[in-house]
Amino acid sequence: MKNIRNFSIIAHIDHGKSTLADRIIHLCGGLEDREMEAQVLDSMDIERERGITIKAQTATLQYLADDGETYLLNLIDTPGHVDFSYEVSRSLSACEGALLVVDASQGVEAQSVANCYTAIDLGLEVTAVLNKIDLPSAEPERVMQEIEDVIGIDARQAPLCSAKTGLGVRDVIEAVIAKVPAPVGDVSAPLKALVIDAWFDNYVGVVMLVRIIDGELKRKDKIKMMATQTQHLCEQVGVFTPKSLPMPSLKAGEVGFVIAGIKELAAAKVGDTITLVDHPASEALAGFKEVKPQVFAGLYPVESNQFEALRTALEKLSLNDASLLFEPENSTALGFGFRCGFLGLLHMEIVQERLEREYDMDLITTAPTVVYELLLKNGDVVQIENPSRLPELSFVEEIREPVIAVNLLMPQDYVGPVMTLCNNKRGIQRNMQYMGRQVMLSYEMPLNEVVLDFFDRLKSVSRGYASMDYEFLAFRAADLVKLDIMVNGERVDSLSMIAHRGSSVHRGRGVVAKMRELIPRQMFDIAIQAAIGANIIARETVKAMRKNVLAKCYGGDVSRKRKLLEKQKAGKKRMKQVGNVEIPQEAFLAILKVEDK
Amino acid sequence: MIPIIPVSDFNTLNQHAPTMGSYTKTGLKNSPPLSLYIHIPWCVKKCPYCDFNSHESRAEIPEKRYVAALIADLEQSVPRVYGRKIRSIFFGGGTPSLFNPESIAEILSAVNMLTPLEYAAEVTLEANPGTVDTAHFAGYKEAGVNRVSLGIQSFNADALKALGRIHDDKQAIAAAELALATFEHVNLDVMYGLPNQSLASALADAKQAMALNPEHLSFYHLTLEPNTPFYRTPPSLPSDDTSAEMQEKIESLLAENHYLHYETSAFCKPKSQARHNLNYWLFGDYLGIGAGAHSKLSYHDQITREARYKHPKAFMENAEAGNAVDQTTLITQADLGFEFMMNALRLTEGFNTDLFQERTGLPLITIAKQLQVAESKGLIRRDNQTIKPTLLGQRFLNDLLAIFL
Repeated sequence: MKNIRNFSIIAHIDHGKSTLADRIIHLCGGLEDREMEAQVLDSMDIERERGITIKAQTATLQYLADDGETYLLNLIDTPGHVDFSYEVSRSLSACEGALLVVDASQGVEAQSVANCYTAIDLGLEVTAVLNKIDLPSAEPERVMQEIEDVIGIDARQAPLCSAKTGLGVRDVIEAVIAKVPAPVGDVSAPLKALVIDAWFDNYVGVVMLVRIIDGELKRKDKIKMMATQTQHLCEQVGVFTPKSLPMPSLKAGEVGFVIAGIKELAAAKVGDTITLVDHPASEALAGFKEVKPQVFAGLYPVESNQFEALRTALEKLSLNDASLLFEPENSTALGFGFRCGFLGLLHMEIVQERLEREYDMDLITTAPTVVYELLLKNGDVVQIENPSRLPELSFVEEIREPVIAVNLLMPQDYVGPVMTLCNNKRGIQRNMQYMGRQVMLSYEMPLNEVVLDFFDRLKSVSRGYASMDYEFLAFRAADLVKLDIMVNGERVDSLSMIAHRGSSVHRGRGVVAKMRELIPRQMFDIAIQAAIGANIIARETVKAMRKNVLAKCYGGDVSRKRKLLEKQKAGKKRMKQVGNVEIPQEAFLAILKVEDK
Repeated sequence: MIPIIPVSDFNTLNQHAPTMGSYTKTGLKNSPPLSLYIHIPWCVKKCPYCDFNSHESRAEIPEKRYVAALIADLEQSVPRVYGRKIRSIFFGGGTPSLFNPESIAEILSAVNMLTPLEYAAEVTLEANPGTVDTAHFAGYKEAGVNRVSLGIQSFNADALKALGRIHDDKQAIAAAELALATFEHVNLDVMYGLPNQSLASALADAKQAMALNPEHLSFYHLTLEPNTPFYRTPPSLPSDDTSAEMQEKIESLLAENHYLHYETSAFCKPKSQARHNLNYWLFGDYLGIGAGAHSKLSYHDQITREARYKHPKAFMENAEAGNAVDQTTLITQADLGFEFMMNALRLTEGFNTDLFQERTGLPLITIAKQLQVAESKGLIRRDNQTIKPTLLGQRFLNDLLAIFL
């Protein structure tokens, strides 16, 4: 056990985490050259394309160190984006150490800081690594200083490497062996295995990724899930190299997979403890906090007969994504669909894209909203996830919105614009800290302001240099109103939103103006109005198109005319018919494109 | 060569022609009327908005060889329309008026020999105002042409220049006057929505066209067709609203002057519809000969489209070798309904409900659902006898047709 090292890599997006993982796997001979491809641990297409990691992955590697001993390295790759921070904390709790990979030219970013603190809180040994030192713009000295200033760990000894060229990767592994402590655990104690992650495989059912804390787990052992109290027969154990490799057993300190003929993900809860039926552990390990969706949006099929297909697709997706919540919802404008809960905007975007790509769905997505808490006149407290469900205001005593604590990290030059942005979003500044050349701003902000377009704005005002991290703080009462949008006099429920009274008029005008641009001219005039209660606060008209006709048609080649009409028709298919108006998908997200005052 | 049988024998033959419709696939009881299209693929200069199969005649046009190829093509095609009367003939292009009257005469006498041509059939020739003179017109008339369609496009010198036409405003009027003096039946093609055209200038064109008092007028909205210079580098055109206003004003001007608006872009004096074009719009049959010409031919069990080899050289070589047809495709039952509508709904007065089955072999009920949708959207109006587009349906014909796709 003294030659085992379990470690994770923490890094901000694009700081080269997956590439470094590739290098380490390659160096340890985990995969042949021909099997290597970029980002081997990112198995989803969408992960590769976007260059991000969504699901945690592991690799068990053999490494002959400079001291002549062979070490077993368990590398657990983790997602870098704030939406998936829960995955990070789960992966980290299976490790004794973490590599903090920092881009030697860009320096520390907020996400790394947050994850790094999580790792330190979990008692992990954090080792800093400077990556991308081959870049001409690399400034290792400055970045080392920054790591010490911002995070407060010793970075003087940080290995310098370039995952891209392979330079210094060996030093990184040696640092892992030297600094990360070997796992402690008792092989002879009753089995305690922590479920780090679980996913559904079409062939073998649920696959659980576990870290054995104490004891030993063998094939054919009868196991018990301590939280759900269900019993299963362990069919196979093994490790990922990163290919799956069956093993006779997994011992204390090791990380590997368990297949036990479990048919649904609900029975294999992440954070649960596995023990043996015959020789059970007395108490379970501390699990993980359950993640709650923060952002909600309606997903509707463009063709109403695709509702069942969408349900099937969502069910399949949720097999592997326990954080995706969905329940049927009915909109007068859009018909039947689902209200879905996501961890954040990126998560939402990814789910939407996977539905469209992997399940060939044509979707209308409504603008993202958050959960509001309502104190009713009769004293009841209810939560609503959909603005159109807001009851008659005479029944409502108070509307409370979720407020989050946001930490923003950016170079000094951009403090001004970022502060302006936060103030526009009704943020309240709580702290400001200079850390070398970087500044950490702490704000409290309503989540509904953040889900709309805060990330995009932040990136644009800081030229991509600012990064952020956030967590839920509390529900707070605010002066909120419901803003309705009407198309040709008909209220489109899926466009309703809850807005702060102060910005509601501006927002209503903005949405209506944007929709006028997005809705194509049709056979009749289309009135688009915004209303608060019975008050119309904005109106725009899409003037009727005058004609749509082919000037000439004399026998001849009909196929071309046909193609032209088919093209026109295909364009319309992507639109949703509301009343007799055809509304394109983008128009349902018009609110995202409204500029601030 | 096919033996020549007197027309009268053909008539009786045709009446007893097998009416196997009742138990065949399409169930066509009678052959639709048949017309003949003859394509002349050369122009003096290719216009930047034109996407027809036309070629600039930089070198000498192989007129004699092409005429022979056309006749060969017709000979090879006759078996497929055996015994059917030709109701009308149309020389289109390109610029048919580039050809000598002798060539036109040769083609027409071949048609007369090879097919039963209906007595007093409409024979139209497209002419370019820049390529005609008195002698030519007289010669065409002598050859048997009885209707001329002149591509005037505009009476405005600047507009003609912008369109890349080879004629100017004076030639336009001279050509129109000459055509009217020579022929009883004349059509003038005029376009609106031209580069930098004002509403006033479009209306001036319309007034000038009416002042000449032809029996038939066609007003087209200039369309940027793919694969044309205008499409690649679009000129500055009037806005959609302006050109829609041009259309509405032109239509009311024509109505005031007793021109009947009978098809999307066609207007005429009473009883002076273009019979050849009407046949297209009533989903009749047509045999198209010449480079790149298209045909639609109905048989007792199927309806097909044919396309000739497109390039003049390829066409001539293949016609000489014995088969000028490049492609023959079957119109599927699924497409028939749409193709019928694409034509018939262009007619302002619509069509008789019986015509649908007569021409497609399909009962009207196959498109009952689509008709319902179109009616509910206010795009068509129907009673027991006819189906016709409403004014909204005429303006938004593409949206109406899309329902039948």
